[in-house]
Amino acid sequence: MTNLQSPLSIYFHIPFCRHRCAYCDFNTYAGQEAAIPAYVDALIREIEFLGQTIRPSDHPTTRLPDHQTIRLSDHSTIKTIFFGGGTPSLLSPAQFERIFSALAAHFPLDDPETTIEANPGTVSLDYLREIRSLGVNRISFGVQSAHPDELRMLEREHDFFDVIEAVTWARRAGFENLSLDLIYGLPEQPLDRWQATVKRAVDLSPEHLSLYALTLEHGTPFGRWSARGLLPTPDPDLAAEMYEWADSFLGQNGFVQYEISNWARAKDESRKPVPSAVEGMKDENMKIETFHPSSFILHPSTACRHNLQYWRNLPYLGLGAGAHGYAGGTRYSNVLRIKTYIERLTNHQLPITSHQFPLTPATVNSHRNTPREDMQETMMTGLRLTREGVPDAGFRQRYGLSIAEAFPQEVDELLKLGLVEWVDLSPLRPPSLVGKGGWGDRLRLTPRARLVANQVFMRFV
Amino acid sequence: MTENIRNFCIIAHVDHGKSTLADRLLQVTGTLSDREMTEQVLDSMDLEREKGVTIKASAVRMNYAAPGGQAYELNLIDTPGHVDFGYEVSRALNACEGALLVVDATQGIEAQTLANLYSALEADLEIIPVINKIDLPSARPDEVAEDIVSLLGGQPDKIIRISAKAGLNVEAVLQAIVQKVPPPKGVDDVPLRALVFDSHYDSYKGVIAYVRVVEGKINAGETLRMMATGFSIKPVEIGIFAPTMKPVKTLNAGEVGYVATGLKTVQECRVGDTLTQAAKAAPDPLPGYRQPKPMVFAGIYPVDADDYSDLRDALEKLQLNDASLVYQPETSQAIGFGFRAGFLGLFHMEIIQERIEREYDLDVLFTAPSVEYEVVLHDGTTVLIDSPAELPDEGLIAEIREPWMNIEIFTPTDYYGPIMDLTTKRRAEFKGQEYPAPHRVQLNYTIPLSELIVDFFDELKSRTKGYASLDYQFAEYRPDALVKLEILVNNEPVDALATIVHKKDAYHKGQSLITKLKGIIPRQLFDVAIQAYADGRVISRANVKALRKDVLAKCYGGDITRKKKLLEKQKRGKRRLKMVGNVEIPQEAFMAVLKLEEE
Ligand SMILES: Nc1nc2c(ncn2[C@@H]2O[C@H](COP(=O)(O)OP(=O)(O)O)[C@@H](O)[C@H]2O)c(=O)[nH]1
Ligand code: SF4
Repeated sequence: MTNLQSPLSIYFHIPFCRHRCAYCDFNTYAGQEAAIPAYVDALIREIEFLGQTIRPSDHPTTRLPDHQTIRLSDHSTIKTIFFGGGTPSLLSPAQFERIFSALAAHFPLDDPETTIEANPGTVSLDYLREIRSLGVNRISFGVQSAHPDELRMLEREHDFFDVIEAVTWARRAGFENLSLDLIYGLPEQPLDRWQATVKRAVDLSPEHLSLYALTLEHGTPFGRWSARGLLPTPDPDLAAEMYEWADSFLGQNGFVQYEISNWARAKDESRKPVPSAVEGMKDENMKIETFHPSSFILHPSTACRHNLQYWRNLPYLGLGAGAHGYAGGTRYSNVLRIKTYIERLTNHQLPITSHQFPLTPATVNSHRNTPREDMQETMMTGLRLTREGVPDAGFRQRYGLSIAEAFPQEVDELLKLGLVEWVDLSPLRPPSLVGKGGWGDRLRLTPRARLVANQVFMRFV
Repeated sequence: MTENIRNFCIIAHVDHGKSTLADRLLQVTGTLSDREMTEQVLDSMDLEREKGVTIKASAVRMNYAAPGGQAYELNLIDTPGHVDFGYEVSRALNACEGALLVVDATQGIEAQTLANLYSALEADLEIIPVINKIDLPSARPDEVAEDIVSLLGGQPDKIIRISAKAGLNVEAVLQAIVQKVPPPKGVDDVPLRALVFDSHYDSYKGVIAYVRVVEGKINAGETLRMMATGFSIKPVEIGIFAPTMKPVKTLNAGEVGYVATGLKTVQECRVGDTLTQAAKAAPDPLPGYRQPKPMVFAGIYPVDADDYSDLRDALEKLQLNDASLVYQPETSQAIGFGFRAGFLGLFHMEIIQERIEREYDLDVLFTAPSVEYEVVLHDGTTVLIDSPAELPDEGLIAEIREPWMNIEIFTPTDYYGPIMDLTTKRRAEFKGQEYPAPHRVQLNYTIPLSELIVDFFDELKSRTKGYASLDYQFAEYRPDALVKLEILVNNEPVDALATIVHKKDAYHKGQSLITKLKGIIPRQLFDVAIQAYADGRVISRANVKALRKDVLAKCYGGDITRKKKLLEKQKRGKRRLKMVGNVEIPQEAFMAVLKLEEE
């Protein structure tokens, strides 16, 4: 089997929030900010731990998997770093600095895309300047809505003025890659209010927008209120309309959709001519796909590269309480609670050979994917990429068979239902050959399938 | 030597404490040690335990030393506790000389109690009334005692009052059994006649027949014969239940035990049949044998067509133990290959459904139950149909006849009005009323069976806060103005959704069925039109709009696993839907016709 190599992404989970928003079911805790220093220490220990176990030379017992999955080695460079939460902007610049130097000491960093999620209202100009100078080059603000009453209902602790201020400061601090999160389909939200939110967000000229439909999750105040009938359930048809409106509005305003919920502003053009040979083909914006000959630039350079790593089913390490990771063919997740996470890492003596990379003392669940499971997940995540889809050549290189060979009935049925299509963005190939096994073929959702994508994904699991 | 034998059963309404009392008796007589004592030993099937009823009878022998030192052999014969199993109950009663009538001190007498009591009196049993649950604060033992006395005579203060749960006064029950229940008559030195009152299938020993030796005796090793089916049997073993199976050399007249027949299906060893010796056969069988007759019919289809042969296996295995389950292959144009099965009643059908799903782990779809119609054609022939889909062309039909039942509803007098209202809506004819106990009335009607199987029992319960109870027997076939109500999905008739209804109900039933189906059929990738059609015209129509949004938004922090689980769950849900053409229809749609609101 081809020896595939991939660079690595790293996710840090920062499970602290000043206040829990009413719809939020993330692994995050309010009122535990006092634990942040110890938590950062624990993160650093986890970095050290992984840094030591990833190198086979240090531990002869570490056998890196060589089945279908992407091979990791000490050559694997870190191409993206993401701090998610929670509210990562609750960490001080000094704390970020410690994390970065620990990372640099243990992993080869290659000019990574480094994102932090931040809540407007938790940042200042000075703060943004400092973290920018530490290497954070992308920032994602949780905006959610432009309307004070909606923000109150969501129990967000900021208003839209905070957003304007935060964006202005971020620009002044030198952030050239800025993303905003918005939520649609709120209870009783009329279409025009959503339109106003989108317009005001676009007015702020972000490079990137994520639009999420509100889901009423079990165990959140929203979930409880709606179960008791106090909160009307959002109308899915109206939410669909909001999505479609936003899609066309963003299109008119220079944004390109590259994933079901994500749009990036097309600064440069996203589509480049097809190189004549696979060999040596490189994407200037994303040099990571050395093994992935056909997944070149199907997205603007402002697309979130960290998220692309997830959707392309490529390896990432998850550090922190409740973080999820996928590396060496293993999916795993860490213990949820902050206190236990800290305990597990501080009470642990390094080095340790009983844990095989990528597992650490904080890991509580792990599952080694079978080749079949891995294929399923590649389809389920890859089809979320609305432009790129799942490239057949990459799939074949990874698993030794084509998509249509791996999922004959599923693909057939979905093609008939008009939910997926074969495309080849190469202008050189006659359409009659598309989907016939050419190296540029990719399977992706049709536009109408974006809103009913579960009907597609479901068939691959 | 039958002097010291007592054969008895317990009759009670569901939940009045039959199983609890049985447990206590086993415990007090030392048949089971306290340690072995698991709750409700007589109900050996899980399902029965959950449903709180005994489906299959069994029998157990207890040795009891009476206060005077005399030793007795007590055989407790368990009886099924539900109206669908009336015949089985009557056979079990015939194996006894006495019956404990257990009445819940908080509930009083109910229809099922009465129905079984009448059967027990018919079988000429000595009745020992017992008032149970006197430990409960809401117990009204004096009132209940009055009710019992007005039924059975005697003196209210002489009726035994117990708490089976607390073990209070259980000894008195044993003494009463010994004193009042007569020992079995019957002599050993005549040709054998033994009554089969139950059976079950054992994978090692074949069909186990539960028998009461009425006269003569069974010796181990002797060849026997089933008098009704004519099968001859070389028993693998004979024995008693003490309480588990224990082999013996002989079963004498008056005794209760089992014969391991080696037969392969319970169909060959029917409840009610008589066992005799092959060599020296009795001239006549015991009276009262009859073939179980299915009353209710439904289609059973695998949700996934690939499960067809598994479903056939499951039905075959279930039939090993259930002589009253009948089935044959059936094909639906809409939903493919399946079976048409007949059941003793709705309750029996529910049990089969649950067992298929639980014990065989199959997703199956039951169509709405139907009765068996007699259709007289213009050419004078009569055809029997038990599925609406089989109804011949309207033009050919001279007359449709349907089965009518006699029903007795037993209720506190307060609910007279609501019951009259319900029965009128269901085309019932009032026949009369009786007052078997103070504040209680028994209302007698005849009613089409088709009306009875459509949620009647639940309606009755809900209109009477659970107090009313019901018993029924077949009366006769009667003609009426009946029509087929068809459902079209995207303009294609779905045979499995068709029903036969009274002409005057067709319109409102069609409408409410469409409303119901609109709520049940999930939105698909395209619009789905549903229509009700009867008597040559469309009665009602509705549209299930296409699904617009079904997508998980956020993959939070790379948590693919959770996402995948959600998708897997969704996929499992989808698998339970039945493809009809290209429309996915959930199982409940096929039962929707049972749940049409009563306006
Ligand atoms: N309080 C009280 N509860 C009882 C008594 N006997 C039975 N029960 C309860 O009544 C319910 C039904 O009893 P069970 O023996 O299963 O009734 P069956 O359906 O007639 O077999 C169970 O929850 C028993 O625990 C009793 O003497 N006192
Ligand atoms: S800020 Fe984000 S992570 Fe924190 S509670 Fe609100 S939604 Fe949840």
